[in-house]
Amino acid sequence: MTDQQVTLSRLAAAGFDIDAFTEEQQEVLRKLTPHEVAVLLDLKHRLDEVGPEVQAHSEIAGGALF
Amino acid sequence: MSRPSASTAPSRPSDSAAASRPSASAALRTKLALTTPLLRAATTALWQPDSLRPRYLNYLAAMHGLIQASVPLLELAAEWCDRQPPGDPLAAPLARYFRLHAEQERGHDDWLLADLAAAGAEAPSALPPVVVAELSGAQYYWIRHHHPVVLLGYIAALEGNAPAPWLADRLAEHTGLPPAAFRTLRDHAALDTGHLADLENLLDELPLTAAQQTAVAVSALHTVDGITRLFRQLADTSEHPGAPG
Repeated sequence: MTDQQVTLSRLAAAGFDIDAFTEEQQEVLRKLTPHEVAVLLDLKHRLDEVGPEVQAHSEIAGGALF
Repeated sequence: MSRPSASTAPSRPSDSAAASRPSASAALRTKLALTTPLLRAATTALWQPDSLRPRYLNYLAAMHGLIQASVPLLELAAEWCDRQPPGDPLAAPLARYFRLHAEQERGHDDWLLADLAAAGAEAPSALPPVVVAELSGAQYYWIRHHHPVVLLGYIAALEGNAPAPWLADRLAEHTGLPPAAFRTLRDHAALDTGHLADLENLLDELPLTAAQQTAVAVSALHTVDGITRLFRQLADTSEHPGAPG
């Protein structure tokens, strides 16, 4: 398995829905650097500890401000 | 689940290989799309109707802590662009963008204080949440010790998750607070779409190296991590210390 395949596998194993991305988008994700993957996995693991996600039908409410 | 949106328009193709690559903004959008379900879950918890009034006041106070750093960060980034070595092709266009954006954002922290006052709450006086300091603090570090281009990731993450246009009305209905308590949400819902488009245009115009694209993405993902944790923390609150009895 190549490094790029490992990247997608690691993201999928962590619970990211890789199949929802187009092939072109997956190409971007295959090329994620170790640093980017580390931040993503950290984010996912920390939130998984909080409890079940309410994702399926929730609205995009937003709320971040700059 | 629908496919995450990401434009595949090439950015300034200089050869056929470049023409087949997604633009810098599209690549960043794809990376951020991984986090959309997580952020969506956090905002769903944040805006749940139960105890929404005190939670909204805590949200305003926390956002004041965050937004009061926006203009200083932009000004610092512009200053450090000026300090980059001669020949840095990012320095001049970034400095122009940061200075223009600073003027666009100036005074928005006062909007939050006005919203709090309209809601009958006092101005925040407590120490802002640790995660607020982590969010803006990381940017101060990266601007000074890496490169000010990193701030683009922070801005992309925050303005890319701006309040939905209907959010202010929904919150007003559930909290019973007057319309004047929602000016920041209303105005940011309208303003941030244009700001995000400006930012994406800039990303596609800059001659970013692969390492700089990664730095921007790490900054953006770190910001999503922080804002998600902040929203989770706020979702767990049911009292606001400055609220009227």
